[in-house]
Amino acid sequence: MVSSVLAPVQERGRAALERLGLPTRRQEAWRLTDLKRLAAVAALPPSSTSVRQDLPAPSEGVLRLVLDGSQPSLEGQVWPQGFSLLNHADLEQVLGQILDHCGCAEAWPVEFNHASSHQLLALRIRGKVPPLELVLSGGDGLVATRVILILDEKADLDLLEVVLAEGVSAHSHVIEVHLGQEAELRHGFLATADGQASLLAHLAVEQAPRSRYAFTSVVTGWSLGRVEPRVVQLEGQAETTLKGLAMTSAEQQLATHTAVRFDGPEGELDQLQKCLASGQSHTIFNGAIDVPRVAQRTNAAQLSRNLLLSGQARVDTKPELEIVADDVRCAHGATVSQLQEDELFYLQSRGIGASDAAALLLRGACQEVIEQLPSLAKAWQPLNRVMESLDR
Amino acid sequence: MTSSSTKDLVSQPYKYGFVTEIETDKIAKGLSEDVVRLISAKKEEPDFLLQFRLRAFRNWLTLEEPDWAELGYPEIDYQDIVYYAAPKQQDKKASLDEVDPKLLETFDKLGIPLSEQKRLSNVAVDAVFDSVSIATTYKEKLAEHGVVFCSFSEAVKEHPELIERYLGSVVSSNDNYFAALNSAVFSDGSFVFIPKGVECPMELSTYFRINSGDTGQFERTLIVAEEGASVSYLEGCTAPMFDTNQLHAAVVELVALDDASIKYSTVQNWYAGDENGVGGIYNFVTKRGQCRGARSRISWTQVETGSAITWKYPSCLLQGADSVGEFYSVALTNNCQQADTGTKMVHVGPRTRSTIVSKGISAGRSSNSYRGLVQMGRNAKGARNYSQCDSMLIGDQAAANTYPYIRSQQPQAAIEHEASTCRISEDQLFYLQSRGIGFEEAVSMMVSGFCRDVFNQLPMEFAAEADKLLALKLEGSVG
Amino acid sequence: MIRPDAELLLEITDLHAAVEDKPILKGVNLQVRAGEIHAVMGRNGSGKSTLSKVLAGHPAYRVTGGSVRYRSQDLFELEPEERARLGVFLGFQYPVEIPGVSNLEFLRVATNARREKQGAEELDTFAFEDHVGEKLAVVQMDPAFLERSVNEGFSGGEKKRNEILQMALLEPVVSILDETDSGLDIDALRIVAGGVNQLATTDNATLLITHYQRLLDEITPDYVHVMAAGRILRTGGRELALELEQTGYDWVDKELAAQGVA
Ligand SMILES: Nc1ncnc2c1ncn2[C@@H]1O[C@H](COP(=O)(O)OP(=O)(O)O)[C@@H](O)[C@H]1O
Ligand SMILES: [Mg+2]
Repeated sequence: MVSSVLAPVQERGRAALERLGLPTRRQEAWRLTDLKRLAAVAALPPSSTSVRQDLPAPSEGVLRLVLDGSQPSLEGQVWPQGFSLLNHADLEQVLGQILDHCGCAEAWPVEFNHASSHQLLALRIRGKVPPLELVLSGGDGLVATRVILILDEKADLDLLEVVLAEGVSAHSHVIEVHLGQEAELRHGFLATADGQASLLAHLAVEQAPRSRYAFTSVVTGWSLGRVEPRVVQLEGQAETTLKGLAMTSAEQQLATHTAVRFDGPEGELDQLQKCLASGQSHTIFNGAIDVPRVAQRTNAAQLSRNLLLSGQARVDTKPELEIVADDVRCAHGATVSQLQEDELFYLQSRGIGASDAAALLLRGACQEVIEQLPSLAKAWQPLNRVMESLDR
Repeated sequence: MTSSSTKDLVSQPYKYGFVTEIETDKIAKGLSEDVVRLISAKKEEPDFLLQFRLRAFRNWLTLEEPDWAELGYPEIDYQDIVYYAAPKQQDKKASLDEVDPKLLETFDKLGIPLSEQKRLSNVAVDAVFDSVSIATTYKEKLAEHGVVFCSFSEAVKEHPELIERYLGSVVSSNDNYFAALNSAVFSDGSFVFIPKGVECPMELSTYFRINSGDTGQFERTLIVAEEGASVSYLEGCTAPMFDTNQLHAAVVELVALDDASIKYSTVQNWYAGDENGVGGIYNFVTKRGQCRGARSRISWTQVETGSAITWKYPSCLLQGADSVGEFYSVALTNNCQQADTGTKMVHVGPRTRSTIVSKGISAGRSSNSYRGLVQMGRNAKGARNYSQCDSMLIGDQAAANTYPYIRSQQPQAAIEHEASTCRISEDQLFYLQSRGIGFEEAVSMMVSGFCRDVFNQLPMEFAAEADKLLALKLEGSVG
Repeated sequence: MIRPDAELLLEITDLHAAVEDKPILKGVNLQVRAGEIHAVMGRNGSGKSTLSKVLAGHPAYRVTGGSVRYRSQDLFELEPEERARLGVFLGFQYPVEIPGVSNLEFLRVATNARREKQGAEELDTFAFEDHVGEKLAVVQMDPAFLERSVNEGFSGGEKKRNEILQMALLEPVVSILDETDSGLDIDALRIVAGGVNQLATTDNATLLITHYQRLLDEITPDYVHVMAAGRILRTGGRELALELEQTGYDWVDKELAAQGVA
């Protein structure tokens, strides 16, 4: 898996980082970011700890791969039918291409990953295949991983990425996905940490016509977190679903920056982002939707729901819609509030104590996103993980 | 929409595009500290005002022209602008009869008759020609109620203490690039003061007319409503057609004390440039209201149809407990116009409430952006905001952008934002046509239906005007 | 009422029309004289609504052949609004909702556009309110509906009544009512039918598009036409409608098969 193709990429990444420097507040996309923490992440040495042993058993029939950024290879891995590693020639051709199509080329987290990652998993998927689970784990230092998934025409995959971290560590993760015509990917992203680690996750997804991509992210417990899904519908006519749950407590900061572009007609987007901020924490959501002239008859809906759970916490949310086609339906909405008083009262009036009632409502709020995770996520008991991290 | 009908539509020329031939007192082009002093001297201003201007000028030198708005325009050469021009007439006349008849005629042509016989019966008008107020109607009647409504220059002479107290108290002279520029060189504008407990007996209105081709326009408006006072104020604007661009950088400050209410309406119809984007006004305006007192209320209503470029965010700073801010906006862009407009609702005090209703209509190759900020501060317990931003696109070359920015630091505040994009559907148009309503009228009915929530907020006299204006602006753009 | 010497109002000859290149009308022939009431029946999808939309000039429907003369004028030379002003009225099967546009204002503008053509004086806001008040009685409609936006939030029955109200205001020469009866309960049906009967005179004509006999119990047609596969397959008197009620449309398939169409 350590691939010689990465050497020039690293080179380029390092040069770019040198040129770009660290992001500054003057850049709109970084205006609210805690840049001190970002600088600390940039200064981390590569992780040395190897795989954690206490992973739950995978559900039956699930192919689990563990990536820790340094593990040299998956040699001897038995691939179920439909999975194959990209060969060198293919790899040289596709590497970075999807990032380019999604406009991620100059993004700092991407260059940072380029400069740091030694590990690359590049898979081609054909037909309907068994579920795939990628566990990204490590500790003490920076874990940089890179994944490329090429879903051929009509391929069908359930994918769950689980990101785990402990201690002063950070994950830099870049995943590129190509969905061929009529391909289907249900992509879960479950990232939980203990409050000290940081996460920079960048996704670039391109969709051919009639493909379906459903991304569900559940992210909680990161000191500094940044999750950036970018989706391009290459010729429109595809379906994209983005569901996100972002939770922060203590002094954490978590930013979700999504971008969806329709480069053809009749595309559909259904997006829901939920952010929950407690303690002195800060959640940020930035959701861009780009509907250029070629994207007639696009139907896009975006909803940003924010729960502000404490007087010291902070929520920022900023939808961004840019539309140049006249025959489109684009709706978006945003709300910020605390738990609904009348709902709380209703539960209390049935004899449930105030804090239990609040916990119940919070579970409900989280559940709406969590239940969208692909079913193989059940092995990880996502709801419990999330509620635990909230209690911390 | 059928293409045949499109071709039949004729574009109606901008009907306020004429120039009045009148002698003006102009200073040389260019901006420097000396120019600032010269303007102040020409206006015989007290020292505090000169100092205010100089501070602003020095600030301006340190500021950078904003480039974050979605606007594209060639660089403005600030040394190629005349910063002071006034029609030559010695003093402001005591009686309207002495005002240069050419000026009166100009306002007649604009539909704002000023003379005793013809003037509007329930609206007091301050007519501003090239940044200088030439006449104010009904001054005496208003004075009976203790209401001050006059040009800014007069106010400086007659009520310096009020000006010193309130000028720059809402929009500080280093607030932003254009506000600093305005604070340094503003020439005239309107001043309104409603004393404690007085409900202003009539609508007040300022009518701005740009006449000169190379003159920058820097008006300053200040409205103060004391405890329990209320006023409704309307601003109208037109300019001749020139094939160069003119800069308009006004500042409006509103102050509402306890239980006061200010309603500020704008019908902006500056020259927008021709269909190829040549000429037109650059409209970079800072408007802000401060709900200083408890239970005060400030309401902005704007109908933006003109200007080549509009950059404008009438805002409310909601400080007083239970104060209310409102923003109702229709922004229509056609041809090559660009508008970047919206509002800021900054909730500081407890139980403050705000409402935002924005309707953007983009036609031609224009670009129309809503940019808003709703902010709930730590003390804004029980505060509420509701926003609704709708865009309508006409044709597939126009752009509609929406950037609603929300920030909250108060769990017991609630924010709700909704936005949608729509077009005029073929079936709706056909339904109206099949009842004998012509294509254009059908479109304009639908557009004004789209804007109805906002038009309902305008003073009666102007709602119908706004409706007509919109129809006129859209002609030739539907297809 | 059939009078052979009455004015020929509508003359449809070998009409062909298509939607998005899909041929739908395939040779419709029909003549309507003043004073007549025609019923057009037929299965779903047989082309009835298409015929009505083509007559009213909907831009999505393309005429590919044949002609329609309205009072000896070529109908297809006229824009939709011009047809309406000259007295062609279409009662829609699905009236659209137009949010924000006041129903009262809409009715007034439409009425005045028609009146101008009729040489009648324009009605100002006040005069129109009186005028519309009288017409409301025809369909027993609550004046509150005038204050709302066009059709917005109206129930199915209310929309249909609003259509008949428009018919009453526009005093059309030829009215085409597309399934004005569908979705109405029996009381509403009587009201609507009563309205149509009141408005029918010896100078105008009505084309009722319907599925059911029950409307024809209320409004007696002079002719009944059966449409199938984009043509009028059979024409008869009111007894044809009764026959259809009993035997259904199965015979249509046979007849089409015999003609080599289906
Ligand atoms: N706008 C349209 N686009 C595509 N097909 C249409 C359209 N309108 C009608 N059709 C098709 O034309 C045929 C006739 O429809 P219609 O005239 O509505 O029938 P009816 O009113 O008799 O039920 C149907 O097959 C229908 O699907
Ligand atoms: Mg039908």
